[in-house]
Amino acid sequence: MIKYIIRRLLYMIPVLLGVSLIIFVLFNVVSGDPTAVLLGKNATAKQMIDLREQLGLNKSLFAQYLDVVKSAFTFDFGYSWATKQEISKMILQGALPSLCLSAPAFIISTILSLLISIFVAYYRGKGIDLFVRVFCIAGMSISALAYILFFQWFFAYKLGWFEISGFEASFPELISYIALPAIIWIVLSIGPDVRFFRTVILDEIYQDYVRTARSKGLSEIKILLQHVLRNALIPIITYVVIQIPSLILGALLLENFFSIPGLGGMTLNALNASDFPVMKAMAILSSVGYIIFGLISDILYTVADPRIKLK
Amino acid sequence: MIKSIVSFLFGIFFLFSSCSKDRSFDERELHLISPEKIAGFDPIHASDNYSANEMGKVYEGLFEFHPLKRPYELVPNLAESLPLVSDDGLTYSFKIRAGVHFHDSPAFKDGKGRELKSDDFLYSLKRLADPKLQAKGWWLLDDKIVGLNEWRNKYVAAESSNYGDEIEGLRKIDDYTFSIKLKKPYPQFLYALAMPYTFVVAKEAVEHFAKEFLNHPVGTGPFVLPVFEQTNRIVYTKNPTFREKFYPSEGEEGDDKSGLLADAGKKIPLVDKIIVDIIVESQPKWLSFQKAKADLLEIPKDNFDTAVIAGKDLSPELRSKGIRLFANPQLDVTFFAFNHDDPLFKNKKLRQAMSIAWNRDEANKLFYNKAAIEAQSVIPPGLGGYRKEFKNPYIKFDIDQAKKLLAEAGYPQGKGLPEIKIETRNETVARQLIEHFAKNLDRIGIKIKVSMNTWPELINKVTKRQHQMYTMAWGADYPDAENFLGLLYCPYSSPGSNGANYCNPDFDNLFKMATVLQDGLERNTLYEKMNEMVAVDVPWIFGFNRTKFYLSQAWVRNYKFMEFNHSQFQYLNVDLEVKKELSKKF
Amino acid sequence: MNTNSLWKDAFFRLTKDKLAVASLVIVLAYFIIAILSSLGLIASGWSQEVGASNLAPSIDHFFGTDIFGRSVIMKVIRGTQVAMSVGVAASLIAIPIGVTLGALAGYFGGWVDDFVTWLYTTFSSVPNIMLLISITLILGKGIFSVYVALGLTSWVHLCRLIRGEVLKHREREYVQAAAAIGGGHLRKLFRHILPNVSHIIIINTSMQFQVAIKSEVILSYLGLGVQGEPSWGTMIDDAKLELVRGVWWQLAGATLAMFFILLALNILGDALRDALDPKLKGK
Repeated sequence: MIKYIIRRLLYMIPVLLGVSLIIFVLFNVVSGDPTAVLLGKNATAKQMIDLREQLGLNKSLFAQYLDVVKSAFTFDFGYSWATKQEISKMILQGALPSLCLSAPAFIISTILSLLISIFVAYYRGKGIDLFVRVFCIAGMSISALAYILFFQWFFAYKLGWFEISGFEASFPELISYIALPAIIWIVLSIGPDVRFFRTVILDEIYQDYVRTARSKGLSEIKILLQHVLRNALIPIITYVVIQIPSLILGALLLENFFSIPGLGGMTLNALNASDFPVMKAMAILSSVGYIIFGLISDILYTVADPRIKLK
Repeated sequence: MIKSIVSFLFGIFFLFSSCSKDRSFDERELHLISPEKIAGFDPIHASDNYSANEMGKVYEGLFEFHPLKRPYELVPNLAESLPLVSDDGLTYSFKIRAGVHFHDSPAFKDGKGRELKSDDFLYSLKRLADPKLQAKGWWLLDDKIVGLNEWRNKYVAAESSNYGDEIEGLRKIDDYTFSIKLKKPYPQFLYALAMPYTFVVAKEAVEHFAKEFLNHPVGTGPFVLPVFEQTNRIVYTKNPTFREKFYPSEGEEGDDKSGLLADAGKKIPLVDKIIVDIIVESQPKWLSFQKAKADLLEIPKDNFDTAVIAGKDLSPELRSKGIRLFANPQLDVTFFAFNHDDPLFKNKKLRQAMSIAWNRDEANKLFYNKAAIEAQSVIPPGLGGYRKEFKNPYIKFDIDQAKKLLAEAGYPQGKGLPEIKIETRNETVARQLIEHFAKNLDRIGIKIKVSMNTWPELINKVTKRQHQMYTMAWGADYPDAENFLGLLYCPYSSPGSNGANYCNPDFDNLFKMATVLQDGLERNTLYEKMNEMVAVDVPWIFGFNRTKFYLSQAWVRNYKFMEFNHSQFQYLNVDLEVKKELSKKF
Repeated sequence: MNTNSLWKDAFFRLTKDKLAVASLVIVLAYFIIAILSSLGLIASGWSQEVGASNLAPSIDHFFGTDIFGRSVIMKVIRGTQVAMSVGVAASLIAIPIGVTLGALAGYFGGWVDDFVTWLYTTFSSVPNIMLLISITLILGKGIFSVYVALGLTSWVHLCRLIRGEVLKHREREYVQAAAAIGGGHLRKLFRHILPNVSHIIIINTSMQFQVAIKSEVILSYLGLGVQGEPSWGTMIDDAKLELVRGVWWQLAGATLAMFFILLALNILGDALRDALDPKLKGK
């Protein structure tokens, strides 16, 4: 087990090298020269040449790639080109608002989806099952933008239930700002979640041990909750854990429309300003998160089901 | 079961959301919206209007524009008076106010703000030139002050720049007097000293906070902000040690009647607190203002019809809440620029045909609610050099004439003309505007291809001359037509501000003559001549001089539009009585 | 295992599911609309003014008009063409890459497998939205970039699935038997294994198709999508400025059009999965 974890952690090295290569090719080689933007609309030619030198854009491509690799392994991302702020500080400041939105939304939507899927699994094949499924699929077939525009206008403005936009890091004020984007998040993710959870639970329901349990005269609900759910939990946990790193990135559109000063908005700004160091930092961080949580989900897998051996 | 869970969750949300805070009516708070993220508080990088607005609350410069008088008048701010200028127009002597203190800050000994001295100005100007800092405002002083460029060049390759060096053009006389020597006449120099780039900073603060300086603004301004965090809300409080500065007692004609002089002679700033919310998208901006969460709002284009009915009046719903509308012509010009490097555009008739094939009237209606002015040439109204009587014959929509010109240009019905690619920004309105332009030109047989870019990409293409055409708007840096005419001056070609790479020797000669002249009739005549000369040559397809519309809540006092408005907020006031009364209606 | 009968069997099972048949009809209808529109037979006049600016829906203008007085319904149809073409093109790029790499990795194992696994791990650990945006930034805007960007991001999932399936099939008897009669590697892979995993491609495509449509909308919102042509994304982007002033029909038109195709694709995807591979449920 320990050996496996070490091996997987070591596997991060080639993956990070690959990630830095992709990032490097995308942002350094192809997307060009940021100096004009960094110096404003009245920049002089001489000033642009000086700045290129300072930013290290005149170094050989290989040397520039090494810089990217170095920051991927040391987590030293330097300073943003566009805002001149220290990137690690920007990320720390942005992570809290992002998590304030994404963590509760994620937890609630997961629990809610699980409850709904147990419910529909219980009534499988009945009208209510079909109805809830179609409802879930219908919910996820509407563009996120449409939800945002409509919900903000209707719930926050017309009904005045929530703040229109903004963010406050103190409790309980936080809730009136976060609730609406969180609801949109939940509405958007309940569809795919329920669909997945339901099939996993149904997979288990047709297993032999369920038949045995049933023949022993256990009630259907007991079978569902005690046996089926316990086994179905394995793929569900995997599915849930693997999503965690994406929570940190927050929700690009939601953050923008609800003025939440999180990492999603920060990434969007960086893309719009050719702020290469910030994009690089975000890409590296999220791939590290992806690898680590991938590993955690694998480990949880063995904990939940000792039959599975990690190799 | 599901139902009860859902209603339970909604219940929780509802419980918290319904206890939203009561508005405060005992503190004079001003709520503003900024549509863009603020990067930081270092004045030397204050290149866009929105950062400048924020810095103007905490920092100050030698001069500022009078908040009420129009045309814009430069008045002393930290300077005691306008400078003495030597006969050759090259040496300026400045006397600064005594008794001005920086904000209290841990950067100073025992945390108390130090008195402002002339050294601070010399230091701040050197910072603007420091090659290690790569200030966005360097162009303002580039090649202007004796010895400054040499100082800059000396340290380009060095580890750090030495601020102790004597520079011939920057001389301290005593603690409250200093002089600046210019290389050549620079009539816009005093404007430069009113711009945020030259706001004064304290050496102690720069050194104490080092890389974090941009998050700890320590100025002399009317408001304080101890720490700036990258959030979407910035809260400024009144500077308790602010000097005796008073609301002006005279303004433009009519200001008295409109109540703009009610606070005359009062000590400023007039509000206790300014809260700036950063809201990027137009829907939440508009909804927030409607809920009185903001006191002032620039109307997003597409909310115009909900706010304003039949041309220029507010809708009854808004009027009943006491909301007021301000229409403010901008000192700006929008344009589609040709890249004159492209041999295709050597053909003047083609340029003219394209210009008159565009129905500006319709565009005005669709995009500017009919409130923009069709730009006759490069100089916008409100600046010396603009002549009201002058009408550019090549902006009038005439499809038959356009077809004729196109045929004369050698492309009858557009035959033989390649598809023309226009670069623009990736914004909704920019996209729609080009769609409109393309649709118009399609009628005479010219095919337009739209290419959308992020701002950096657009700038890159233009500075590297990779564009065929591009569209942009230029806003005044200071109220002098030189700032606009320079956009067509050959030596400023890409990577400079003449992105069209337009070269016209006659124009260039006049420009050289005009730039060394002080403001006056002679210069204005030259400006007029240049302006009208390029108009008919159609170096760009001229677009519009836009009008911005602002809404203000009834309780905001002393609001008057300012193009260079970074110092404006100290003059604004909030009428708490009115606010309390009207808040019931929201 | 007889592949033919598997398909026949699946088709039979599918036709019994009324909801799935209805979805299939909707999807086909969208394809027909898209094809007709691309041939210029319908909605070719989308760029013409049909009335005043921003007219509300009425008998004359079924879905109202946009800011330029163009018919919203025609724009929706034209947008259908864009959306369907994005889905098809993205699949056409993703399937060859995903299938080839997945099959090679699963079949040969060893360093080939290591390399492919590394490749898709790397790709899937960079956030999708960043890849999408930077690829479109680099290729220059336009529908072609959207095709490529979506194609290059959606092969990963398919590749992983195919690799897993091929890995399983490699050890099966029929493949071993084919090896005994002396088939080459390629022959084994293409004649024997691939036909048996092809249902995964179908299922995956029906899922990826809707991801592509949704992504196009987000890219267009960011200004990186289709240029100079109406798409559902640009229509919703327009609507973000128009909704507060009461112009809801562009949003409604695009959202409804998107809603039905996504709904149909989702239901069809589920049904296909159930019909073609009951064991694969949800994985």
